[in-house]
Amino acid sequence: MVLPASVWKSCVSNLQEELPSQQFNTWIRPLRIDDSAESGVLRLLAPNRFVCDWVAEKFLHRIQEMALQLQPQGGLEVQVGISHGPQRAAPAFKRPAAQPRAAAPAPVPVPEKPREAPPISGYGQTAAVAEELNGQLGFDQGGQGSAIEVEGGLKHKDHLNRSFTFASFVEGKANQLGLAAARQVAENPGGAYNPLFIYGGVGLGKTHLMQAVGNALLEKNPNAKVIYLHSERFVADMVKALQLNAINDFKRYYRSVDALLIDDIQFFAGKERSQEEFFHTFNALLEGGQQIILTCDRYPKEIKGLEERLKSRFGWGLTVAVEPPELETRVAILMKKAAQAHIDLPPDAAFFIAQRIRSNVRELEGALKRVVANAQFTARKIDVELVREALKDLLALQDKQVGIDNIQRVVAEYYKIKINDLLSKRRSRSVARPRQVAMALAKELTNHSLPEIGEAFGGRDHTTVLHACRKIKELQEESADIREDMKNLLRSLTT
Amino acid sequence: MTQTGKPCAPRQLSLGVSLNDDATFDNFYAPDDSANAQVLALLREQVNGGAEWFVYLWGASGVGLTHLLQAGCHRAQAAGLSVQYLPLAELVGFAPSDLLDGLEQVDYVCIDALQAVAGRPDWDEALFHFYNRMRDAGGRLLVAAVQGPQELPVGLADLRSRLQWGVTCQVQPLTDEQKCAALMRRAHARGLELSEEVAHYIIQRVPRDMNELFCYLQRLDHASLAEQRRLTIPFVKKALNL
Repeated sequence: MVLPASVWKSCVSNLQEELPSQQFNTWIRPLRIDDSAESGVLRLLAPNRFVCDWVAEKFLHRIQEMALQLQPQGGLEVQVGISHGPQRAAPAFKRPAAQPRAAAPAPVPVPEKPREAPPISGYGQTAAVAEELNGQLGFDQGGQGSAIEVEGGLKHKDHLNRSFTFASFVEGKANQLGLAAARQVAENPGGAYNPLFIYGGVGLGKTHLMQAVGNALLEKNPNAKVIYLHSERFVADMVKALQLNAINDFKRYYRSVDALLIDDIQFFAGKERSQEEFFHTFNALLEGGQQIILTCDRYPKEIKGLEERLKSRFGWGLTVAVEPPELETRVAILMKKAAQAHIDLPPDAAFFIAQRIRSNVRELEGALKRVVANAQFTARKIDVELVREALKDLLALQDKQVGIDNIQRVVAEYYKIKINDLLSKRRSRSVARPRQVAMALAKELTNHSLPEIGEAFGGRDHTTVLHACRKIKELQEESADIREDMKNLLRSLTT
Repeated sequence: MTQTGKPCAPRQLSLGVSLNDDATFDNFYAPDDSANAQVLALLREQVNGGAEWFVYLWGASGVGLTHLLQAGCHRAQAAGLSVQYLPLAELVGFAPSDLLDGLEQVDYVCIDALQAVAGRPDWDEALFHFYNRMRDAGGRLLVAAVQGPQELPVGLADLRSRLQWGVTCQVQPLTDEQKCAALMRRAHARGLELSEEVAHYIIQRVPRDMNELFCYLQRLDHASLAEQRRLTIPFVKKALNL
């Protein structure tokens, strides 16, 4: 009889191999085994209902299968439930949120009455300090629509971009999970998905999703205190507060919000004092049921230079990934952007741009702006011809970057073989498959004819290239490995 | 953003960077309907608070990137905006925070020769944060480099994607014919008469980088003034030791 914990360990290791890393990180990694489960039951605890439902629907069957294989004599039933957060009862959180905490050791000593601190650069009086704070910590004197009064007369400015809404977000396969999670948070802030941690590459819509939640919260309740800021600003505010002996004002400010949205938290790496302060803010908000949303360029555990306790807390709520949009979504994004700007963008022109710009949405938007500028200057309507002209530098550059040589080099490196092997007559599987992959990529990413591609691969016939392309297409449907290989290679060749 | 400039210290003085008075949009030679005319239109619109707040220019050395950036500063100053021109090749010894902290308070910032610092982690991160602050503050940013944002060896992906987000334009080098025309127009602006024949003669005999050509023109201007001579081929030959 194998213990449930050992069975689960083996399941995790198998699932890690079977699933793409982002799926594994999102759904499997947060699961914990319930030690108090009765005998014969492998009970897994998800951090929230969202993860629990998803795992039950998509993975439970597979986990049960694996458990059966690992324990053929049977009898181990797999269940999934929701963890009721024993971690949150950790001693660190027992302090009441309403009471101001003693500041952690700081590089600048914090006197008991900071506002009576000796003058610093001419700011010696209470009012002057408050004014300085108002100016430098993002606290506004008011007068603007987005400023909200809070305790002590200081005011919040939300810094939200009003155009980042759910309505203006284009949904696709790559981001549907992130979107669903963000909508849930907007519906039920401070609930089970706290914090919401959105991660993924640059320019894929993390900030848009995060701000869409903020805007939705404000729409529902215009008096809600929602603050969006970049992590750098949190750090800068803290440094300034330390310099001005106003760390308590800083704490009060950040802990009084209903929702705190911090972008690109990877830039906290290596900034220990800021991490310390953020840790306390984080705890206070979580304890008070206030929503936290964070974005990052990678999975929390992979952030170097970030304290372990922060990494683990980031995983308490829901962690979702956004991936690069596929072609159809890229087209939809372009059409939406054009419609927003009241520009007539024909679908074939949008398709032409989206086929060539693959890396991220910012580059896509940049290309569209260039096309629009060109159309306005030349007083012409946008069509494929104009797009080709407007983006010729970009397209020429891409052709240059994604040449057959480059594809051969990248594929050879990826499969750890020599370029000469790709060009040789050798037909062993270890060489033939990478060669077919490289040919398929050359057809997809360059404008070379099939005979030209065949020629570049050791003088092969164009029918060999055609066969390779068909074969790889088939294999992508059948094999997760080839799908993953093609995805990785496409990414490294086009970004 | 209003057209009234925000109060801002004259940073040029503290950094030892000054603008060349000769650099204006009007004296940048760009034939009608050319790609460079489009760049000029875009930059004028940017200064006027038009659609795009961030423009990235790139082109080979000598195509006039510095001229365009400085011309933008002149135009913005005339419009009452606070401006800052940062030639990074000359400022590479500064700590990035010394140059960029608080710079978002300036209405119109031009960063020249980005290639001088691209790929240095401290600069990449500082520029990334500066870009975000500038965007939040509603300022206008004009950046120039010898390569486009895809090719520039930027190490931080977050910065690279932001550099790709605005309108990116390649400033095209002039053909020899256009260089002659540019030279004749600049001579005319200086009160010199330069015939097409003489302009061709010069172009065929000296380095054809526009900066170099304008330096030769300046020498001819001084020589012509000193000797009270018109710009003929024999005079040019003698004055330039050709």
